[in-house]
Amino acid sequence: MSTTTLPTLETEPVVAVKPRRRGRLRYSRNRLAYWLIAPAVAFMVLVHVVPMAGGVWLSFKNLNTFTFAQLWGAPGAGLANYKAILFDAGNPLRSGFLGAVQNTAVYTFWTVAGTLGGGLAVALLLNRPMRGQKVARTLMLTPWIVPSFVVAVLWQFMWQSDVGVINKFLVDWTGLLGERPVWLLGGNSLWAIIIPSIWRGLPFCMLIFLAGLQSLPRDLYEAAALDGAGPWQRFRYITLPLLRPLIAIQLLFGVIYATYQFAIPNVMLGTNPGPDADLMMTLIVRQSFSNNLFGFGAAASVLLMLAMLLWVAVWWRAFRRDLEVPV
Amino acid sequence: MTALTLTPRARRRLVDRALDALTWLVLAVMLAPVAWLLISSLQNDGELATGAYDLLHPTLNAFRDMWQTVEFSKYFANSLIICTGAALAATAFASSAGYALARFRFRGARPFGVAVIGTQLIPGSMFLLPLFMGFIWLKQTVGLALYDTHLGMVIVYTAFFTPLAIWLMRSFFLAIPRELEDAAMVDGCTGFGAFWRIVLPNAAPGLVACFVYAFLFAWDELLFVASLTQDTAETIPIGIRSFIGNYQQYTAQLMAAGVVSTLPVLIAFFATQRWLVKGLTAGAVKG
Repeated sequence: MSTTTLPTLETEPVVAVKPRRRGRLRYSRNRLAYWLIAPAVAFMVLVHVVPMAGGVWLSFKNLNTFTFAQLWGAPGAGLANYKAILFDAGNPLRSGFLGAVQNTAVYTFWTVAGTLGGGLAVALLLNRPMRGQKVARTLMLTPWIVPSFVVAVLWQFMWQSDVGVINKFLVDWTGLLGERPVWLLGGNSLWAIIIPSIWRGLPFCMLIFLAGLQSLPRDLYEAAALDGAGPWQRFRYITLPLLRPLIAIQLLFGVIYATYQFAIPNVMLGTNPGPDADLMMTLIVRQSFSNNLFGFGAAASVLLMLAMLLWVAVWWRAFRRDLEVPV
Repeated sequence: MTALTLTPRARRRLVDRALDALTWLVLAVMLAPVAWLLISSLQNDGELATGAYDLLHPTLNAFRDMWQTVEFSKYFANSLIICTGAALAATAFASSAGYALARFRFRGARPFGVAVIGTQLIPGSMFLLPLFMGFIWLKQTVGLALYDTHLGMVIVYTAFFTPLAIWLMRSFFLAIPRELEDAAMVDGCTGFGAFWRIVLPNAAPGLVACFVYAFLFAWDELLFVASLTQDTAETIPIGIRSFIGNYQQYTAQLMAAGVVSTLPVLIAFFATQRWLVKGLTAGAVKG
C-alpha cells in the first residue's frame, strides 16, 4: 500500500511521434486520470468532506432537543461545548467523558496488542511446514468473516454468568475458578468486549503477517543459521526488522479502527454499556441520539478526531523511515 | 532429564510435533465460538435458556421459527439489496480511481491518495448527524427521499467503502503489465478504451475480490443504518437486536439468525478466497 513509486510515463507507445503531439498525448492521458477519479472524489466530498465540515460547525452550536427543528440555524454556543467537556468540573457530562476516554484507551491498547501480537504468533506457527497447513490457514480466517453484530450476540450468550459456556468451562468443567464471575456488568465488562474484538481481528492480522513472512528471503535465515544464530535471534534480528513496515500499517489502522469501535459494545452491552465499558463512540452516539445533546456529541467527535490526528503524527515520526514512499 | 539424552535431531522433532499440536490447539480455540454458535442454533429455545444442551438430538426448529418471531426476511432482503448495490458502485468507482492511481502521474495524485486514506480518520459520529440533517434537507427542498431508503444507504456505503477499495484495486492494476495497454493504444485504442477493453477484463479477479471486500464491510455496518433508517430500509444488524429484546425465550433463534446472517458472507468469502487474499496481501507486502 505504501512503498511503490507511481509509474512514470517514460514508457509511452513506441511510435514515432513529434514532440508536440507527445505533449498533447500526455495532457489528454492525464485528463483521463481526472475523469477516472471524478466519481470517487464526488462521493468523498459529498459524504465525507461536507458532512465533516458540518460536524465541526455543529460543535460550535447549541443544538439540543429544543433547537433541533432549526437544523443549521441553531443558536451559536462559541466554545461552550468544548469548555464543558474539558474544563467544567461541575458538568455531569465531563466525568462520563473522561471515563469513556480512559476505557477507550484501555480497550484500544489491549485490542491492538492482542490482535497484532496474536496475529504475528499465529502467522509464525502457520508459516512452519506442517501437514494440513493449507486447511489450517483457511480455517483460521473464519472468525474474521463472522459479522461484528453476530460476534456480539454470540459472545454475549457465551459470557452469561449462569448458563454461558465460558463459565461452564471455567467453573463446572475444569474448576479453574471457584465462583462464577459476572462478565457483562462491572469491572469485567471491558474485557467482555476486548476479547471478542481480538478474536475477530486476529485472523486478518495473521493473514497480512503470513504473507509478509512468505516474502522474506530464505537465504538470510540460512546464512544466519550458519553463523550460529538461534531461532529467537533470527526472529529478533531478521524477521521483526523486515516486518516493520507491515507492523507499522497494521498498528496505524488497528488503533484507528479500535478507537472507533461501536458495533460490538453496542450490540453486546446495549446503548449504555455502563461506566466500566462505555467507549467514546457509544458515549457520543448515546448523548447525541438518545439524549439529543448534539452539540456535546459534535464537540466530543472533533476532540476524538484530533486525538487520532495526534496519533497519526506520532506514528509518522516513529515509522516514517520504514515506509519508502508514504501512503 | 531424558531431554538431555535425546539427540539434537530427535529433540528438534519433538519441538516440531509440539508446535504442530500448539497450532491445532490455537485453531480449535479460534473455531470454538463458531462451533458453539452452530450447536446453539440447533437447540430448542426453552432448554437453551436454562443452559441445557442436547447434542444428540439437534433440531432445525430455530431456523424455521426465526422468520416468524422477527420479520427477518425483510432485514435480510434489505441487507442483500443495499450491500450488493453499494459493493457494485464502490467496485466501479474504485476500479477507475485505482487505475488512475496505478498508471497516471497526474497533478494531485498524491494529495488524492492521502485524502483517500484520510477519510478513515473521520469518526462516524462526526458526520452521522450532518448526514442525517442533509437527508432531511434534501427531502424538504428537492423532494429526494434518502432517509430510510435503500438509495440513501447505498450512497452512504458506497462512499464508505470506496477509499480502501481504491487501494485494493490499485495493487491489482500494478500487477498487470503495462505492455498490454501500450499495445492496445498502438493499435488505435483510446486511453479509456484500453482501460475498458483490455485492463478491466484482465483485472476480473481483482474486481470480484473488491466487490466481496466492500460487501463484507457493508454487511457489517451498524452505526449509520441505525440512525439513517427507521423501518423500510433497516438491515440485519438492526433486525437481529429484536431477538435480544426477547432474550429469554429466543436464544436458539438468535443463534440461528446469527448463522443465517453469517452464511452469505462466508460463502462469498470462500468462493473468492484466493483472489481476495491475494489482493489484500499484495497491497500490504509489495507496498
